[in-house]
Amino acid sequence: MIKLEAPQFITRHVLFALVAGGIGGVVFMFFLLEFDHYTSSNAFCTTCHSMTYADDSYQSTPHYNSPSGVRASCGDCHVSEGIIMATYDHAIGTKDLIKQLFGPDYDDPVVNLLHLPEAAFAARDWFRKRDSATCKRCHTLEAIQGTRANTAAIHQEETEGKSCIDCHYNLVHRHVPSEQTFKREAWNAMVEEEFGLEPGTAAELLANE
Amino acid sequence: MMFSLLRPICPSAKALLLVCCMLASSAAFAAKVALDPSNWGHPEGENCVSCHEKSSPGLAQQWHDSAHKTAGVNCLDCHQAEAAEPDAIEHEGQVIATIVSPKDCGRCHEKEYEEQAGSVHAEAYAIIRDRIPALAHNVTGAAMQAAGCDQCHGSLVKVRGDGTLDPKTWPNSGIGRINPDGSKGSCSSCHGRHAFSKAQAREPSACVRCHSGPDSPDKEVFEASKHGMLYAAQREQMNLHADTWVAGKDYTAAPTCTTCHMGAAGKIPTTHDVGLRNAWTLNQPVSYQQYLVLLADGSKLELPATAKPPKRGSELEKADGSVAKVKAVISPDRRRTVMSMVCLECHAKGFTEGFMTQFDNVVELYNSKFGEPAEAIMAGLYERDLLTPLPFDEPLEFIYWELWHDEGARARHGASMASANHAWWEGMYLVGRNFYSRFLPEARAVAGDQAAAIIDPVLAESGKHEWLDAPSQANPILGWMPPPAPAADPMPVPAVEDGPSAASTTDAGTAVGAAQARAVGAEMPDADEPGAAADAVEPDAAQAADQAGGNSADAEAD
Repeated sequence: MIKLEAPQFITRHVLFALVAGGIGGVVFMFFLLEFDHYTSSNAFCTTCHSMTYADDSYQSTPHYNSPSGVRASCGDCHVSEGIIMATYDHAIGTKDLIKQLFGPDYDDPVVNLLHLPEAAFAARDWFRKRDSATCKRCHTLEAIQGTRANTAAIHQEETEGKSCIDCHYNLVHRHVPSEQTFKREAWNAMVEEEFGLEPGTAAELLANE
Repeated sequence: MMFSLLRPICPSAKALLLVCCMLASSAAFAAKVALDPSNWGHPEGENCVSCHEKSSPGLAQQWHDSAHKTAGVNCLDCHQAEAAEPDAIEHEGQVIATIVSPKDCGRCHEKEYEEQAGSVHAEAYAIIRDRIPALAHNVTGAAMQAAGCDQCHGSLVKVRGDGTLDPKTWPNSGIGRINPDGSKGSCSSCHGRHAFSKAQAREPSACVRCHSGPDSPDKEVFEASKHGMLYAAQREQMNLHADTWVAGKDYTAAPTCTTCHMGAAGKIPTTHDVGLRNAWTLNQPVSYQQYLVLLADGSKLELPATAKPPKRGSELEKADGSVAKVKAVISPDRRRTVMSMVCLECHAKGFTEGFMTQFDNVVELYNSKFGEPAEAIMAGLYERDLLTPLPFDEPLEFIYWELWHDEGARARHGASMASANHAWWEGMYLVGRNFYSRFLPEARAVAGDQAAAIIDPVLAESGKHEWLDAPSQANPILGWMPPPAPAADPMPVPAVEDGPSAASTTDAGTAVGAAQARAVGAEMPDADEPGAAADAVEPDAAQAADQAGGNSADAEAD
């Protein structure tokens, strides 16, 4: 029978610390899992009023209301999979919280809409850098059939070198042009028209931030 | 009169010079693209096709069947855009625009682009832009502008701030569409996407979407004309797919809309200015002839021929307020000459001139008898505040609108393209019926006790309505005639003085005579039955009455 003998440096204190650290680590991991899970939920995201605008358009799309009952939450698309990346994304995401607290008044629908394009461009970049990884949590390219005759063929034959986001943007949130063709003046004019503001108001609002 | 201005038609160098001067072109068929093929065949275009064969196979197949494909022109050659363009979007890695404007087509089809610019087609929206709300918005609603007016006239395409095209203005292929790049028109209005077939655009059906219906029933007019009859019967001999399509050379079976208004014929080159050969404007309350003024900046302007022609080199203010130098002025008779030269490919000179005279006479009759008087009466009512300035809030305004815009236009179009039915029954007959049975009674009601001051002088001045002053002039057209005059009556009639004949009594047309006629009719037991009434005037008595009324010719014609 092999007798296990702890090395000399494992003193009672060290042993206690290891046990406590181990339990603490497990608890912390559980906490992170729960934290990531909760902070990825629609309920958490829309606690900020500014996020309710994004929620409105999302609720009118198949990602919210699909015939099968599958519903993608905010985090399903916008937070990476796995505890490490999910935690990283949330850590990076705190900049949004800081901007919400100390930046422009994103709760104001006009300010929110004026800033939407930059938010959309950043989100698209995020998807592109990750090769649309969160899309692929649910969607498997090889399995895409679609309802039209050639949807499957298009996804098999026309997607080489492309990521989901390259073609599928403006799916869930309000339509924003590509960054390449975006025209700030036209966007501002649209916002002014939509909210009945004097021409030039939008540019002033942005300049005074 | 227009016809007297028509110069002798001379199919010689002089005529050719005239046409060259007008069109700056001597090509007798659609211009070949002058650009070097290295200007098209975008390398990324193949990818568009590969995907669109699956995502929209119909569209892709149309392109596969097109001359564009044969020439190596692909999707991106037409749809590519600069990111800075207002309607540029990113699509599968390429910056494109959904709308391919005449300016885009003009990158290769330069001649056609220049010709259509400033034409009545290209200006179709700009011309009526201010008028649209009065009818489309007030009488109906803005939804009708998108679904109705704009589908033919074109829309002012709005690109929204998010880069999408406003569905209030798009989809639209109206011929006067104002595109995001500022150009006017829509080639696909006539040239169906995405095959852009020559044969399709040469068919009369290319024009039918807009040139049909009550106000410009050119489809119906053409179909009811001898030209339409021949086209329908001999369509397979029209050589519609031919590379060049010169009337009298490549085909002789029949003309289509394109033949006369745009097509090459003899030495007349083709043109994409569809109104160039029109001496008259036929869609106004009163028709007038027009100069076509070619301006140095490439735009065009039409001016009424009643004014003095502008001098070459002089400056002229355009509708948008900008000023341009006059490059050339084409008079109405020159425009008519060009049109007539098309006719001459199949008709003799005398025939052509005679036809044009018949047409001009109808327009002038419409103008002098109905158009001008009705316009003057309406002006009188507006000036005296008997009508509000707001259009269509009074029944008379609808009556007047239909008089010139629908019935009057039909009559004039019918005469211009030789449909007897549209010139008369669908046209001038309805103009007359409206004028006498709706317009005048309603105008008199609106004028009240001022009718004698506003309406009667206008009618008298026109000199065309005196027939109303002889109410006893009988005619059997409605199946009734005054009874035989007393002399023909077998019953002894007292008090026939100086032995007047039956004819003279009828001629006199007195109220007494009419009263007698009614009295006699009432005494006849079967007078209500048409047959009985007809019997009563046949045979001898009717003839006597006809001759007396000077209507024997009508009676024979009947």
